[in-house]
Amino acid sequence: MAAESSSLAIASARTARQKQLVLIVSRVWAWVFLALLIAFFTASVFSTSGGSVNFLTLRNSQNILMAITPVLLMGLGQTFVIIAAGIDLSVGWVMGLASVISALVIADLVAQGMAETPAIVLGFVIGVIAAAIPGFINGVIIAKLRIPSFIVTLGMSFIARGISLLLSGGNVVIGQPPGVRAFGNESLLYLISGEGGGLYFLQRPNVTGEALQRLDRILPWPVVVTAIVVAIALFVLHKTQFGRHTYAIGGNREAALRAGVPVDRHIIMLYTLSGITCGIAGILHTARFNGGSSIAGDPLMLPSIAAVIIGGVSMFGGHGSVAGTVIGALIIAVLTTGLVMLNVQPFWQFIVVGIVVILAVLIDQARDLIIGRMESQG
Amino acid sequence: MEPMLSVRNLVKRFGGLVAVNRVSLDVYPGEVVGLVGDNAAGKSTLIKCVSGVYHAEEGEIYFEGRRVSFAAPIEARRAGIETIYQDLALAGNLDVPANIFLGREVKKRYLGGLIRTLDEDHMLRESQTVLNSLEIRFPSLTVPIDKLSGGQRQAVAIARALYWKAKFIIMDEPTNNLGVVEQRKVLELIRRLREQGVPIILISHTLPDVFAVTDRIVVMHRGRKVTEKRTAETNSQEIVQYMVGALDDTRAQLQEA
Amino acid sequence: MSKRFLLTLILGLVALSIVPFAATAQMEKPKIGFLPGVVDPFYQVMEIGVNEAVADFGLEVVTQYPQTWGPSVQTPILEAMIARGDLDYLITAPTDKEQMIAPLQSAVDAGIKVITVDTFLGDGDYVNGPVTFPLSYIGSDNVEGGRIAARALAEVLGGKGKVYVQNTNVGVSTTEQRGQGFIEGISEFPEMELVGMDYNLDDANTAVEQTAAKLQAVPDLAGIFGVNVFSAYGAGNAVKAAGLEGKVQVIAFDATKDAIQNLRDGVVSLVIAQKPHDMGYLAVAFAMADWRGVTSIPKHVTTGYAVIDINNVDDPEVARFIYQVPGQ
Repeated sequence: MAAESSSLAIASARTARQKQLVLIVSRVWAWVFLALLIAFFTASVFSTSGGSVNFLTLRNSQNILMAITPVLLMGLGQTFVIIAAGIDLSVGWVMGLASVISALVIADLVAQGMAETPAIVLGFVIGVIAAAIPGFINGVIIAKLRIPSFIVTLGMSFIARGISLLLSGGNVVIGQPPGVRAFGNESLLYLISGEGGGLYFLQRPNVTGEALQRLDRILPWPVVVTAIVVAIALFVLHKTQFGRHTYAIGGNREAALRAGVPVDRHIIMLYTLSGITCGIAGILHTARFNGGSSIAGDPLMLPSIAAVIIGGVSMFGGHGSVAGTVIGALIIAVLTTGLVMLNVQPFWQFIVVGIVVILAVLIDQARDLIIGRMESQG
Repeated sequence: MEPMLSVRNLVKRFGGLVAVNRVSLDVYPGEVVGLVGDNAAGKSTLIKCVSGVYHAEEGEIYFEGRRVSFAAPIEARRAGIETIYQDLALAGNLDVPANIFLGREVKKRYLGGLIRTLDEDHMLRESQTVLNSLEIRFPSLTVPIDKLSGGQRQAVAIARALYWKAKFIIMDEPTNNLGVVEQRKVLELIRRLREQGVPIILISHTLPDVFAVTDRIVVMHRGRKVTEKRTAETNSQEIVQYMVGALDDTRAQLQEA
Repeated sequence: MSKRFLLTLILGLVALSIVPFAATAQMEKPKIGFLPGVVDPFYQVMEIGVNEAVADFGLEVVTQYPQTWGPSVQTPILEAMIARGDLDYLITAPTDKEQMIAPLQSAVDAGIKVITVDTFLGDGDYVNGPVTFPLSYIGSDNVEGGRIAARALAEVLGGKGKVYVQNTNVGVSTTEQRGQGFIEGISEFPEMELVGMDYNLDDANTAVEQTAAKLQAVPDLAGIFGVNVFSAYGAGNAVKAAGLEGKVQVIAFDATKDAIQNLRDGVVSLVIAQKPHDMGYLAVAFAMADWRGVTSIPKHVTTGYAVIDINNVDDPEVARFIYQVPGQ
């Protein structure tokens, strides 16, 4: 009897350890995968190029950060929406709408003689507001009329597309003052490595020729802006009542409602928030590419949702984190950049991203399954 | 003694169907009243009228001597009536403190209230305190409550009601889907709540449970209250007769009249 | 199990690192990057030209195709190519004449010389225009191409009738100019009327849809000009689906296999072929010339057109302009 109970105790200690292990694996696998990916590309890019190409460089790290900005921004709003058991399929074209409207406003204000800086600031603010409006409307329809988010945001996606194409005439909106391009392409820090080099803050060193080639932009402004948005999202989702309510609505909407959470208002705010992050992505596109484009965001919508899923946000709602989405976006960007540098056909990117998305969900389910089995046995 | 809750001649119709038909009910402080009846007897509808989910067409509800008419569940809660639903109304992905404080989170204020963060430590401590007062022990309060047993979740729901100073608790099938040990624990909790002076309406199909914890039993059949007995003065067979409609005190009254 | 995984990974890495060492770069030759606009037969034929020249000069080339058209897709690929740090020349078709200026400027800043093929930056004038950093623009004179299309269509229709244009995106220099050239060309014929121009965003399905709608709305439509591969493909298929082969004349820009098949089937009356192969070859030749110190490289070269109709389609001299990727 005593022997039996002690062996039971050992067994339960073992399942506890296994459970711990499963939990840890499910939590850190994305980080490990990213690290392996970087290690793999570093080794393979270096060796396939015969040592002439290096994956792990300062410049490339900045490239990858730049590449993730729009995907990540769209993914951040999406993270909140999906945690609350919704989905926003309008992100791509809402981003395009913000890009077009910000460019139109800036071009118009400058043409009317407004000074450059206030025109740009005003244009960007209006661009973001313009993206918040479709988000707000999405939220109102989803919350008040109880139409599934999938349908409402799909509809809004077409509406945003139509409006932005109408406003731009299908054209790229040009006529931007130089400050727009500077904001999209200049950075917080500059580093000239090697001889006669140095670190420069805010002001781009005026160099040409060979020295220019050694110039690295560190923390381009779009990356800085995105980092600030990530920090705010981290804080709001994980530290505030707003974040707590987002999880609660995704976990059990009825429970949240009965507990006095203002569910409708909250859902409206979530979709508005998603619109705002798309808006920021849109104005950053305008800045980076020196013009407003309605098609800017469309190719990025699915990667942004993939990033969210890879990051561990459950499509059923209630689970996920901001850090996960950042990792998801990084994995996709590292894949794109790495495969290009390896000079592999870029279509492989689709296949690998697809596998990773499915893997992410499988790992999530395996975790619940394994832990569930352990509990029913224990 | 004044009843804490008094329902007078309540009528609730759904189209042609009279779900609750002129039901009156009193609950006194420190009392546990069992509300039993077959499916579709009108128990849940009656309770939802009291808790503000439905609005009764006729009749009055008095709470603490004042006439009340709750437009929404949240108003009933504010008045002190907590309903613990069958499906618990907990968010399974959140941990124990998050559920106890859901919708009423405690916040730390920075910069004159401009920035407010969740005060997780405070909520954890308070949760621990209230669970201790109910003599409930959990291995960990910071796991999602999906990972807890049905009885533990029931305890969280009860602790939540208690923490928020519920003056009156309505429990809808609290022992459903629970193992024997867990059922016993929940009944234990109900007794402890009564010791703290909180009146309870207990809706249940499980007659042994009802007999184990209640002071009075109200039986409903097809929307009407067919009898009301002191638990000590009746037995399961008699109650079952009322539940299936074989006995009906109101019919006798009607015939007398 | 984890050990086996680790072993597999290490073996994989080792295998990947050994194979390519066999072909180490010759450092004294320039290394070329080729970044087309999108995956389509036009650019694939251009790639053949690039590869031929690369072989002829004994160079190395890194080719990467964006999966969809547009700066937000092309730019990350461009940046990864810049980040390689080993490219000396970049041959690219900018997916937007305005939006790609800044990203390609950063290639130049990194010491990579840029040659644009097919599409251009700014207004395509790299001498006096707003953008002067590319080495050269090698492409078709697209306005002229549009005019050729208009005149050919007019000839088939006897100088009268209603015509319609299937265009791609407004911001794309080449197709914009073809549309413009076509309108100019049509205006030379007083009895011809342009009844509309739709933008299919380079999507063949959209092109089919829009053309089908136009055929419904304008029952006496006489001719359609499809400004590129997908536009002509969509227009041709819509006409075929409506059973109007031979009644509605389609002029296809770009000599894809599909366009040629439509020509043989009588759905398309005329195919205007660009010379992407020549563009690719010439671009590499220009890069090589620059590398050897030639300073008189022309800033703008047009490669001309081949006009294919049912009578000359089998003539080898003409057939070589069909966008045919061997093995496909």
